[in-house]
Amino acid sequence: MTATDPSPATSTSPLLALRPRRVESGILVLVGVVVAVAYGLASFGTSEAIPANLGPFLLWMFGLGFGAHLMNRRFAAAADPVFLPIALLLNGLGYVVITRLDGDLAALQSTWTAIGIGGYVVTLILLPRVRLLESYRYLLGLAGIFLLMLPLVPGLGREINGARIWASVGPINFQPGEFAKIALAAFFAAYLVDSRELLRSRLELRDLAPIGLAWAGSLGVMVFERDLGSSLLFFTLFVVVLWVASERWIVLAVGGAMFVVGAVASWMMFGHVQKRVDIWLDPFADPKGDGFQIVEASFALADGGLTGTGLGRGEPTRIPFVETDFIFAAIGEELGLAGSVAVLMAFLLLVGSGLRVALRAERVFEKLFALGLTTLLAVQTFVIVGGVLRVVPLTGITLPFVSYGGSSLVANYVLLGLLVRMSHEQRVALQVDRGDS
Amino acid sequence: MNLRIRRLGLVLGLVYLALFAQLNRVQFFGAERLQDDVNNTRGLIREFGRARGPIVTADGVVVARSVEYDGSVDFRREYPEADRYAHIVGYQSLNVAATGLERSYNDELAGDPIDQRFQSLGDLFVERDTTATLVLSIRDDVQRVAQEQLGDRKGSVVAIDPRTGEVLALWTYPSFDPNPVADPNGTVANEAFDALRADPDTPLLAKSYREVFFPGSTFKLVTAAAGIETGLIGPAEPAFPPSSAYEPIPAGAPIRNFAGSTCGGDLVEILRVSCNTAFSEMGAEWVGPTGMIETAESFGFNSDIGIDLPGAAESRFPTDYGARLADVDTYRSPEPAVDASPSEGPTLPNGATPVHEDSARLAQTSIGQNDVAATPLQMAQVAAAIANEGRIMTPHVVTELRAADGSVYDRISPQTWRVAMSPATAAILRDAMQVVAEEGTARNLLVDGLVVGGKTGTAQLGTDPPNSHAWIVGFAGRPDQVPSLAFAVIVEAQEGASEQTGGRVAAPIAQAIIQAVFS
Repeated sequence: MTATDPSPATSTSPLLALRPRRVESGILVLVGVVVAVAYGLASFGTSEAIPANLGPFLLWMFGLGFGAHLMNRRFAAAADPVFLPIALLLNGLGYVVITRLDGDLAALQSTWTAIGIGGYVVTLILLPRVRLLESYRYLLGLAGIFLLMLPLVPGLGREINGARIWASVGPINFQPGEFAKIALAAFFAAYLVDSRELLRSRLELRDLAPIGLAWAGSLGVMVFERDLGSSLLFFTLFVVVLWVASERWIVLAVGGAMFVVGAVASWMMFGHVQKRVDIWLDPFADPKGDGFQIVEASFALADGGLTGTGLGRGEPTRIPFVETDFIFAAIGEELGLAGSVAVLMAFLLLVGSGLRVALRAERVFEKLFALGLTTLLAVQTFVIVGGVLRVVPLTGITLPFVSYGGSSLVANYVLLGLLVRMSHEQRVALQVDRGDS
Repeated sequence: MNLRIRRLGLVLGLVYLALFAQLNRVQFFGAERLQDDVNNTRGLIREFGRARGPIVTADGVVVARSVEYDGSVDFRREYPEADRYAHIVGYQSLNVAATGLERSYNDELAGDPIDQRFQSLGDLFVERDTTATLVLSIRDDVQRVAQEQLGDRKGSVVAIDPRTGEVLALWTYPSFDPNPVADPNGTVANEAFDALRADPDTPLLAKSYREVFFPGSTFKLVTAAAGIETGLIGPAEPAFPPSSAYEPIPAGAPIRNFAGSTCGGDLVEILRVSCNTAFSEMGAEWVGPTGMIETAESFGFNSDIGIDLPGAAESRFPTDYGARLADVDTYRSPEPAVDASPSEGPTLPNGATPVHEDSARLAQTSIGQNDVAATPLQMAQVAAAIANEGRIMTPHVVTELRAADGSVYDRISPQTWRVAMSPATAAILRDAMQVVAEEGTARNLLVDGLVVGGKTGTAQLGTDPPNSHAWIVGFAGRPDQVPSLAFAVIVEAQEGASEQTGGRVAAPIAQAIIQAVFS
């Protein structure tokens, strides 16, 4: 089960012949131009003036991007050059849209961006090898569960907009769940390194107990924190990782069945779940009330059409929570089908690069960890975009890198740092192999 | 494991494909349906996010403008003259569908038409105020007189320049104040609108061009035109014998004159005294159904009146008079037809006019009764046709679309709508109407120094108590010029039902209009 492509030693991969950091700097310049132009246009669209702070903004953005790029050169020189520029593109576009929606939030988001990129760099520096995490598996597992439960602690937890997913320490509010998902992905991966062979060789009921635990855990999150999106995310994460590790279809079958049972049970038991499903099935039944958000988002997307109303020229503020859950609708309205498809393509590129890291990883832990992180990114994006587009029932969750939200942004940059770190490790290994041959 | 990861990649790709498909559906293929959804107020919000062009009268009074609003939208419409222009300008409201010019000129006011947006190459690069100012043909001084003169009597006043079709005044009482309806606050707007809609006096309805009434004797002008156009009737020939009742053929209830009086004589005389018996006979036995229908339709009955305001009503003249029977001389010959002695007895010039099963009905419609119904605007156009040598111009209330910088986007040039009669026929009727004003039922019209012609009408509604619509139509102009004013005034449901009612009630209003126009 070697993960590297058995390519002949005589021919070097064209990807490796290129110097990844030079490619990265090239893409970064393109991203910088796109974001800078978008920022100028958005300001021009809302106030018909070139923003006074265009210079400082560009310095700030380019400074952050360039800083991260330099850190890549220093600490992850061989890593896939796609990750950082795409994340910065999504982050930058999201920032432009947030600026256009709400200036105060934009100021906060720029701080969060700096902290997020800081988190990315710290991850690269502190973690020279991802496998170091493997030995802290139980600590990480406990940390994940602790973070997940944090909002339930009286006095610390806080319920905002019907979901108890916030923790407050002094003046700082954050969503511990965003970090819990990374910790849990690491724990799952490390745990399965040990039990993988067992699971592959025999199948007993108690071997499926971990799925049962994950299922119960995610149901618990949903019941006690009323966070449908996160519970779906955790459940999918665990089933996918377990399926790949065990290479058994039965895992998918049982996981799917349990998902159906859990979904039906929660639909029968909880009013807010029923409401979500009703809105999903027919938002036009109550267009001014329950269905308002979805209906307005559809109108916004329809207004956008092929080419969009232009940044700053639409009416996205009519949609409740447009800066967070519904930012994709704002992008679709003002940048049109062209813009919304471009954003989805960017996510596909990230997911594809993440899966490539998983494919190329030589050690099981890295393989499963990269797979888990990528699955988180892919499923989270699908759940919220699908919710906005009415492909699936809506669950309040952020669009990675794009939505407003400090916890989400920082956590996703850390996630990105981990993927970049793994990409660097395996490419260095590959280059060393080639060099030897 | 890599096989599973690749499969996962495939599944994720398929799942994202669903997102792409749905994006295409929402943003492209199904976008139009979503934009037309009743719950979609985005178009309105967009409209109310920018100032529209104002609407001003010919004499410069602003009757509609956009003002900044502190609330759900950036701008709202304001109507400084309140009810005086509600039936012309209408309203643009966030909560109620637009009416009037706000509706028919919506795009121009908003600045959307391509020719407004791109006046020159430079407009491709520079943001410019592309909205249009609507300049009305309505003169506020005339409109104001119409409003004052009618007072709180229900009715309508229409004044029009017969040479161009420009409407100078268009007033109906009761009217309404459009400002509350245009309030961006939904509660205020809906309450105001519901109250107006529930009002039994229908203030929302611009009866001057959206409601039809019995035209009564004013319709005799159309019958007279039809008669002259047959070539059988001239200003002094023939003379209709004095009569107090017309017995229709083939059968039907007799038609009498007002107060059972006896009248007859030549065309000028029967118009002067508004002789029912003579005009019934003229329509039924001299002109016949075909000629009456043709003439009424050439005046604009049974078709859209062509005004640049939405929702105008169509005036009606009945077109079905049953099967054709024999000619008039079969019934009117002094010798019984069974005698079959040819060429004996006096030959009537109208003897070849066909009689139809329902010719008795034609006798009624010829004096504006039965199912004849006309808008005040239509009756003003009847007078305008006579004043303007038989030619009816397309009526319009907007004369110019002006850019914010004062340059002109578009000017509405006068257009002939239809030709109602020959200039000779029009001249005969003009002279006859002058006689009516000078010596007949419309004496209250006269204004010193002007040539004035008119025709009254009293459309009876009931006899217990007697009440009727009082009408006057007519024209006025300076001597030796084509008259520059045609008008119609109706005062609804007035007490009394004599032929004098129109002259007594409606003519003074028209006189004040004439004075205002020529002052």
